[in-house]
Parts: sequence; structure tokens; C-alpha cells
Amino acid sequence: MRTPARHGPAASTIAWRAASLLVVATLLISAIVGGLLRAGVATPVPSASAWPAQAVLAHAFLMMSAFMGTVIGVERAVAVKHRAAFIGPMLSALAGLAMLGAQPALAAWLAVAAALGFVIVNLVVVKRQPAAHTALLLVGALALLVANLLLALGSAAASVIPGWFSFLVLTIAAERLEMTRLMRRRRGAASALYICLAALLLGAAAFALSPAMGALVFGVALLGLAIWLMVFDIARRTIAASGLSRYMAACLLLGYAWLAIAGAAWMATGLGLPLRDVALHALGLGFIFSMMLGHAPVILPALARIKVEFGVHFYLPLAVLHLSLALRLFAAPFLPAALRLGALGNALAIALFAMTMVGAALTWRARHTNPA
Amino acid sequence: MADVHIPYPYDGPPELEATIEGALRQVVDPEIALTIVDVGLVYGVRVVERDVQVRMTMTSAACPVTDVILADVQAELDAVLPPDHSIQVELVWDPPWTTDRMSPRAKQFMGW
Repeated sequence: MRTPARHGPAASTIAWRAASLLVVATLLISAIVGGLLRAGVATPVPSASAWPAQAVLAHAFLMMSAFMGTVIGVERAVAVKHRAAFIGPMLSALAGLAMLGAQPALAAWLAVAAALGFVIVNLVVVKRQPAAHTALLLVGALALLVANLLLALGSAAASVIPGWFSFLVLTIAAERLEMTRLMRRRRGAASALYICLAALLLGAAAFALSPAMGALVFGVALLGLAIWLMVFDIARRTIAASGLSRYMAACLLLGYAWLAIAGAAWMATGLGLPLRDVALHALGLGFIFSMMLGHAPVILPALARIKVEFGVHFYLPLAVLHLSLALRLFAAPFLPAALRLGALGNALAIALFAMTMVGAALTWRARHTNPA
Repeated sequence: MADVHIPYPYDGPPELEATIEGALRQVVDPEIALTIVDVGLVYGVRVVERDVQVRMTMTSAACPVTDVILADVQAELDAVLPPDHSIQVELVWDPPWTTDRMSPRAKQFMGW
């Protein structure tokens, strides 16, 4: 009598998803290879091709604008459930491929078009649910648009990077703010967050005039945000739960610690201390990638229609990420090899995480395949 | 049953009430470690003839996990209801979700 709860997707849909996954993986792997080469890790790459050099040059663009821009774009497109919403992430993925194909101008303008699409999707979200967190998501999208536009107009990547980070940090802050709705409202909590985020945008904008002043303000804002998250986020509650919830909370809390370190490091670079690697990677890997590791097990089923079975082994890539990052960022000033070793560990953590996800998806299938 | 928090209005045969609530309590949002019933996302359940209708909401319109949660609700109900019953899960945004909908257990967990 009853129609099945879920129909299997059409072959064309599966092919489409597989192709998308392949492109996103290409962007991530290229960005990682670029990062490894930057850190001085001997990485086997084809010498005749342009892409390794492009991956090195455009590491930040590939990681933030192309890879994360695409993944977050798909995430939002899935939420608004409209076909046209996927145009943005398609363009940002193409922008990444164009960059790897040594077409930086084309890549930058494709990224602008992608960000424009992403802004429109976020406007739809705000219209559907006018709330503080959806408004912040929109501001994050605008930060991405401005950053990509600056790149297309010829700004150096160094002055664009704070804009890309602002997009990611605002996106995360917005989602965390949404979660704090489950806690009792503390007086001034929301205002404190808005002050931190306004300072973040102010700092990012100030880079164009004075990189030192920009870094200082950006750092103060990140530190403020880290404290805010440690005080108000639900992770301090959900760490007491079990299974996947506790794992996610661990990813969040570790991320907040790195966010505080990143804030201090950005401030230090503003004061002239040589801590740029700490500033960039405590934020990018310690905070943002830790968030990704935490959320992939719930986002993956939503984006790719693949369910995963949680297990304690999920903690392994998380531990490798944070330990290798600590090695890289704390030991490198005293031990030059620590940078290479740490960077290799960072890459290994992401590879281990990908394998964990594949394994967890296969386990889920094996457990839930009903022979009847 | 008198002192138990009533999570959502139920309109249907009494013999299915506990079965349906049990199934809905299987759906957990891992991000917040609470069931959709405890968070108060279920607005109401009606059983008309053999048609089970669930009205529910989400806390965020930007949430990409919405479809997964709706599919989980469908699957959990599918597993416990008699095969001649159909299931409809409807997502609504009006009225918007508020913390007043959270169960005492959920509030305690979140430190209220």
C-alpha cells in the first residue's frame, strides 16, 4: 500500500553527484598539494603540468574561495532547495579549475560571479527566515563577494585573505549563533558577538590601508570571538553527551582554542612579529578545518545523500590534525623541520578523515541494507 | 501520564499515539544531542483514516540537514506503523520555533 520512504536516485543524478565530488576533491587535493609544496615538503607532482605551480601560487584562493566556497555554496543550495541555487557553487568550482589551468583572471571573475550567486541565495534565506543568524550568513556572503572582487581587480592575495577568512568565520559564527538559541539568552551576548564581527570586518577592510593595523584589529576580533564561543556556545553542554554529539563538541572546543591562538598570532603579526604561518593556519586548519571535521558527518548525508556510521575512530584524524598543527606552529621556530613534518601531518589528517568517512559510509550501508 | 510534558497535539487513534511518539523520539539532531520531540520541532500529528500526517519545523531555514531529518522521520515511522498506513511529513515555518517549545529535559540539558 505504502510507497517506499525513499526512491533510489536516477542514474543521471548519481553521475552528476560523482562528477561534483570529483571536482571538489580535485580542488581540495590541489590546495593541499600547494600547501605542502609551500611548506617545503617534497611532493610528487607532474613536472610538465602547470597545476602544481598554480596550486602553490593560489593555495589560499583554492582552499577558501574555490573549495570551501563550493562546499558551503552547495550546503546553502541544498537548504533553499532550488535548482538555480547550484549555479553559484558550480561557478566557484569552475573558478578553481580555471585557476589550476593557469587562467587567473578568468578564475577571479568566475569567483566573483559565483559569490554574486551565493549572495542571492543568502538573500532568499533571509527573506524566508529574517533572523540574526541568516543576516550574518548574508554578511559572510558579501565578504566573499568583496574579497573575490578585490582579487579580480588586481589586489594581492595577502590583502584579500582577510576577506576570505571573514566569509568563513562569519558563516561559522552565524551557525553557532543559531545554536545558542537553545540556551537561555544572556543579556548582551548577541551584542558582544556583533561587536566582534564588526571589528573583524573593520580589520579585514583596514588591510587595504595599513596591513599592520588591519592585522591587529582582525586579531583582536578573532580573540574576542573565541572567548564569546567558549562562553556562549552549546558545545560546552553537548560535550557531556555521547557518540557523534560529543565528537562534534570536541571538534568545536578544540577549534575555539585554536581560534584564540590565531587571534593572538594575527595581533602579533600586526606588531611585526614573524608569526604569519601561525596566524593563517591556526585559523584555517585549527579552527575552520576542525569545524569541517566536526560537521562533515552530518553535512555529508545532506549533500551527497550518503549516511555515515559514527565510531570512536573518528577521533583519530581529529587528533592527528591538532597534534600535527601544534607541532607545526609551536615547534617550527626552534626546529625548522617541524614545519614540513607538521604540514605533512596536516595533510595526512585530512586524508585519514576522508578515509574515515568512506569507511563510515560503507559501515552504515552494511548495517542498514535490508536483504528483504 | 498526567505529569508528563505533552510534546505536541495528537489527533488520532489512541493505540498509535505511543508508537508514533516513540518513533519520533528516535530522530536526534546530533549537533544538539536532543531528539526532535525534545527540541519541540514537532508541531502536531494527525491520523486521518490510515494517513499519518506530521507537521514539523526546523530551527533554521539555512539548515542543509532538513531533508535528512525529514527522511529520518519518515523512515522511523515507516519502521513501526502498520504497512497499510501512509506517512506525510510536512515542513512548516509558521509559527516560527521558539525556546518555549523545548521540553523540560531539553532545557535542563542546555542549562536553563
